[in-house]
Amino acid sequence: MRSQVRRRRIQSPKFYAALLAAACPLSIQPSALAAPQQASTRSATTPVPKHDLSGIWQVQGDIGAQPIAPDDALVPKMTPWAKARFDAEKPGYGSRGVPGGNDPILQCDPIGFPRIMMMPTPLEFVQAPGRVLQFWEREHEWRPIWTDGRPLPEDPDPTWFGYAVGHWEGDYTLVVESVGFNDKTWLSPTGFPHSEAMRVTERYTRVDHDTISYDLTITDPTAYTKPIVTPHRTLKMKTGVEIPESICVWSEENEFTQRIRNPATPKPAK
Amino acid sequence: MIRGRIRNRVAALIVSLLFARVGAAQQALSQKTTAPPAPKRDLSGLWHYQGNGGSEPIAPDSAIPRMTPWAKAQFDAERPGYGPRRAPGGNDPILHCDPIGFPRIMFLNTPFEFVQAPGRVIQFFEHEHEYRIIWTDGRALPADLDPTWYGYAIGHWEGDDTLVVESAGYNDKTWLGSTGYPHSEDMRITERYRRIDHDTIAYDITVTDPKSYTQPIVGPHRTMKLRPRDGLVEEICVSSEEQSFANRVTEPAVPRPSK
Repeated sequence: MRSQVRRRRIQSPKFYAALLAAACPLSIQPSALAAPQQASTRSATTPVPKHDLSGIWQVQGDIGAQPIAPDDALVPKMTPWAKARFDAEKPGYGSRGVPGGNDPILQCDPIGFPRIMMMPTPLEFVQAPGRVLQFWEREHEWRPIWTDGRPLPEDPDPTWFGYAVGHWEGDYTLVVESVGFNDKTWLSPTGFPHSEAMRVTERYTRVDHDTISYDLTITDPTAYTKPIVTPHRTLKMKTGVEIPESICVWSEENEFTQRIRNPATPKPAK
Repeated sequence: MIRGRIRNRVAALIVSLLFARVGAAQQALSQKTTAPPAPKRDLSGLWHYQGNGGSEPIAPDSAIPRMTPWAKAQFDAERPGYGPRRAPGGNDPILHCDPIGFPRIMFLNTPFEFVQAPGRVIQFFEHEHEYRIIWTDGRALPADLDPTWYGYAIGHWEGDDTLVVESAGYNDKTWLGSTGYPHSEDMRITERYRRIDHDTIAYDITVTDPKSYTQPIVGPHRTMKLRPRDGLVEEICVSSEEQSFANRVTEPAVPRPSK
């Protein structure tokens, strides 16, 4: 198992491209990338359990990290506060991509929420009494989504992954509201800041046994004049895998940046 | 949050340096209180190790078995910030936010939480916002594991009160405790979490690593107490902040060796 990982990391250019896209060398194991559109053994007509999202899920589509909106122009107008931050960002991707950027994740600062949802790496839901636990392969991170009826805290400490509560709408949709984010993270690999006032609403609708339809809305009046409504995303169930331990280790991350990421980032045209 | 974290760590450091005995006294006191009986096959809840108030070694130096030459070479290269070998300018891997790893994370003054879900017991650690899964669905330990910081763990119940956890698949980048002590990728760990009453877990750990130690390391009996609290707080080691903390607080606090 181990030699397989190392061989893959050393030999496959496609793997490096995917790593570059995902922007952390440890976050992706072969299991996650080998078959992102893996055919399911069940049909879409398999009955869907009610109030249950348990399982491992992976976003479909572009295998790389995704921007917060398909086009920068679709992001609502920024406030002057946000625009100043935006102008100071030097992302490694998108129309503003440059080498030697200042993406916070380059030094293994946590990727944070909701950016972690833009990653191609799988996530897992585990349901326990009073909470739905969400685990991400990326950074070995997790958050509890409290489903015991508690309200959101009024004055939460700002954190990287916020404070989330959820409730079921009907039998198949988990609606998650979250607050309490610090303002140190970007919304996506193409940048875009947010403030501590950010509030996130998500809808995870299990449309069939193997499919979740995912919608994410970001409301942050300190930073944007209107809510950011991200495009619909589809998550597919993955079977026969486990979430491996992938921890961003600063010493390794820095070495990866020097050796792979910087040389691979296109220089801006003069 | 960050301010709170640093404040907590300064407090922990002071407590561990100055009042190392107080924790033991509190532990003795709390054991006299009576608690309701334990629920069966259930460790759910937030638990706090009743240690000496700071981080501590896996076992006293006197209880560490003889090292192999391989381990001794690693040991001699370690420069810990605690214990008899402590020195400033150390090379403890956690100083630049490398993961503290298992089992060292068990000997800290921060709580952990057990959450039970079908087929697994999940152990969340407040320190580093980490977790590991203890599989209780009857699977065996895989034979060829990728080495990781927190290993691969399976558990089974002995009677109604004891979760026995076997783990393997560790990388060799972590120390066994704050005073150092290496281990190899061959390390295997056996733990016993015995819920002796509603509010108390008796904890035993044995580390078997013949590549490093000529006999298993048997940790001292430890006690964990249930802490009625809402949930763990998010505490992430952020390398940029950790470096500044080390320069400003940890380093000045480490006593210089006497000449």
